Parts: sequence; C-alpha cells; structure tokens
Amino acid sequence: MIKLNPKLSQKFAVAFLFCATIVAIIPVVIIIFIIIKNGYSAISLEFLTAMPTNGMRSGGIFPAIVGTLSIVFCAILITLPIGVCAAIYLNEYAKDTLLTRLIKLAIVNLAGIPSVVYGLFGLGIFVMFLGFGVSIIAGALTLSIMELPVIITTARGALNSVPPAFREASLALGVSRWQTIRHIVLPNALPGILTGAILSIARISGETAPILFTAAAFYLPHIPRSPFDQVMALPYHLYIISTQIPNMPKNIIFATALVLLMMVLSMSLIAIIARIYFRKRRKW
Amino acid sequence: MKTNLYQNKMLIDDLSCFFSNKCVLENVSLSIIKNEILTIIGPSNSGKTSFLRTLNRMNDFNSDFSRKGNVFLDEENIFHMNMEKLRMRVGMLFAMPIPLPMTVYENVIYAPKRLGVIKHGKKSEMDAIVEQALRDASLWDEVKDRLDSSAMKMSGGQQQRLCIARILAINPEVILFDEPCSGLDPISTAKVEETMIALKKRYTIVLVTNNVKQASRVGDRTAFFLMGRLIEIGGTAKLFVSPKEQKTNDYITGRFG
Repeated sequence: MIKLNPKLSQKFAVAFLFCATIVAIIPVVIIIFIIIKNGYSAISLEFLTAMPTNGMRSGGIFPAIVGTLSIVFCAILITLPIGVCAAIYLNEYAKDTLLTRLIKLAIVNLAGIPSVVYGLFGLGIFVMFLGFGVSIIAGALTLSIMELPVIITTARGALNSVPPAFREASLALGVSRWQTIRHIVLPNALPGILTGAILSIARISGETAPILFTAAAFYLPHIPRSPFDQVMALPYHLYIISTQIPNMPKNIIFATALVLLMMVLSMSLIAIIARIYFRKRRKW
Repeated sequence: MKTNLYQNKMLIDDLSCFFSNKCVLENVSLSIIKNEILTIIGPSNSGKTSFLRTLNRMNDFNSDFSRKGNVFLDEENIFHMNMEKLRMRVGMLFAMPIPLPMTVYENVIYAPKRLGVIKHGKKSEMDAIVEQALRDASLWDEVKDRLDSSAMKMSGGQQQRLCIARILAINPEVILFDEPCSGLDPISTAKVEETMIALKKRYTIVLVTNNVKQASRVGDRTAFFLMGRLIEIGGTAKLFVSPKEQKTNDYITGRFG
C-alpha cells in the first residue's frame, strides 16, 4: 500500500464523498429535466380539467387526477388513525415481551414486501372475497395495508422523540397514563406524525402495482360517484398511454408524468414546510 | 409503633426492592413523621433514589422492578391504593427540573385540570390556584408578569421552583424531593431550601440528597443509606455530631462517597 500523507488522504476522501453525492443527484436532475422539457408544451388548463378524448390521444387527464386523489384520500383516512393508534399502543403501553418484539419485527418486515404482492392480496381479499369489486375502496384498503407499517414506524419514531422525562413528570403528578399521552405526548409528537403521514401520501400517490388489480380502470371518462366506483388513476394511466396506445403523442405522456411528479413533489414540499413550522414552535 | 409521640405520616415496613432480581434495597424499615423534613443521604448506588421512587410507586412502570415488604400512608397500604390517587397525595420532584413544554401558567394548572380538582372551570378559580402555588414556591414575584411565556425559557432554579409549584397546585400530603438541587447553582439551591423549610408547616417532606451539608441545613431527621441498607436514622443534629455507626461517621466526614 502507498502511504498517503494525512492532508492528501483527507482531500481524496472529501473528493470521493462529494462525487458519490453528485452521482446520486444527477439521475434525479436529468429525469426532471427530460420530463419538463418534453412535457411542458402539453400542460394547459384544459389538460388538467378535461376528459380524455380520441382514445386518450388528446383532451385532458382530469378523471385520472380525481381518481388518484380520491384513492389516496380514502387510503390515508383509513391508515392514519389505525397506524397512530397501533403506534401509541406499541410505544406507550406494550410491555417488552417476546410477542411485542415479534410484532415489531413483523411490522418492520412488512414494509419490505413488494407492492405487487399487496396488489394481489387486495385482489383476493377486498375485490373478490369481500366483494367490493374493482373500486376506490378496494384500492384504498390495499394501499392503506401497504402503508400501515410505514405509518406505524414513523409514528413510533415521533412518539419516541418526546423525552421520557415529560411522561414521568406528568405521571408523578397523579395524572393517568392516557391523559399523559393525550395531553403531553401526542401534542409533542404530532409534527413528526404529520410529516410521516404527508410523506406516505406522496409515496402512495405514485404506486401502481397495488391499484392495478384493485381500483384502476383502463378508460373511464367520468367522475366517480361513490367509493365503490372504479376510477382511472394517474400512475396506471401513465403506464397505459406509454405502452398500450399506438400513435400516442409524446408530449402528452411526458405531461402526464409531469403532473404526477408535481403532485408527489408538492406533497413532500408540504411535509418539509410543516416540519420547519412545527420545529420552530417546539418549546424544548 | 403507636408508642411514637409524633404522628407517623408514612411507615415503611421491611421493604426490599429488586431490579431484575438484583437487590437494590434490603429490609428497610423506618417511619416518616408528619410535617418533618426527613433527609436521606448516602453515596450513589446506596438505594436512596430507589427507596424514594417506591414511596409513590414511580418504579412500578419499570417491568424489571419487584419488591417485598409494605409501605403505609396514614395506615393505608400504598400498594393496594389506586396509583393515581397515591401520586396525588405523594408528589415527587426530580433531580433535573422538568418543565412541561407549555407556558408557566399551563404548567401549574396542568395537573389540577387533568385531575378534575377545578370544579367549575372558572378562570378566576384557576388564577387563584396558580397564584397560590407560585407564591408558596416563592416564584410568584419573579414570574407574575410572564405567566404566558414558555416555561422552557426560565433559568434552572426557576424551573425547579416551578416544578415545586406544579406539585403544590394539587395539594399533596407528602412531597418527595430527589436531589432537587444537583443541577443548580448555590443561590438557586438556597432558594429551593428556603422553600422546602417554609413548606414543612403544611407538608411532610422527604429529601434525598448527595449533598451532606444540605442535609444538615434542612433536615429534622436524617437517614444514612449504604449499599441498599439503612445504616442509621436519627435527629439531624445528633447524627451529624455523634453518629452511632462508624460508617456514618466516615461518610459525613468525607472519608468516602
């Protein structure tokens, strides 16, 4: 081995780490650049608010936007309360037994299951067994089951970040455990829980596989009337127009991708802003 | 025990405590007399904090904890009492000041609100409780103009007195102090000590301290713990001047610990 002097090796290390960072960023920048360059020409108010026409080759993507929003909205409505409650139980009440350790391990592992497996699970349970059919509700349930482990994990992290001393101080005053959780722990964990929730929304808005068999329609140019309706969804719509439709104008494909990207990015942005806001308000 | 001239507020009967089967407190029996300040001294690992935390069952949240023996509060076994009720009667102040992340006012009124002490929910009623508690903790004059500012911004000594006020607001019978001045400067310490002495008219106080001088300043009686055992207990003046045990003498003269 050549022995470098410390100053030189320091420089090499910094240069190497910097390059690794650049390599990580470049693909993201290129993707965003290509999508904007090819897609911006098709973006217009009509594109965002009109029904698709001419076999989806022209018109807008309004039903796909509404479809995705309604699936995601329902999913988060289901997954957030259940996830937060489970996190409270696991973090605040559950004793450290073999069973709770197994449950925690299972939750961590659930987050690693491929999303298409959740899709098949949703098809079997919600669409067929429970008879919801291919619908918003079936898709939302599938997505919420997929997102539960993530919500539970982030919510537990947020609860954990509340100093144990606060709980002890409250309990020592004779305040009950639940009141301590309700009035001390939860208000202080809320920012973290919310940030996790918003990031989850961002993540599930882009998911295709879980809604493929459970909610998404190939072509359905109207707005859903009930949670048991089938809907178009942006990620699936993007997949169809880029692979299944001949003579599809390129700029519409890229514009659809751009809309999806913007939806996800703006969610993440809201999460970041919320986090900054709450961090400023935090009093410890 | 009835032969005692003084009224026993708490009676500890042959108490032993264990963490994961490791004995941290061995067969301790003593009584705590009403309206006294009982100070407990001893080196670290002597079991004095474990002892204190057993008196209002703060150890019960730790699943490794187990105990033998009994503790009585006014002749009622505390281990048969409702845990929340017990803690309302036996308050505890921790080594580090822990203001809750809210305003000064909210900190004081937090427990009375949660415990349903406030009957009508009137603002005037709450104001009165807050003012009285802060006065009793000798903090009122310093904070009366900034009751709505965050308690986290106060100095360490003020925070500790706020924590005292928080306990006083629920009007307990016994207050347990767990090294309340270990993180404070001498002036803040003096203020907390003054507060404690003023409080003993109405409350019974148990003070665990690492500071032998503090024990001699504020204690009516002093107990010396070593390695989980009660070595000696007696009137503070007597214990410091002529301890019965050699170990006590070694500790208070600074030969170890």
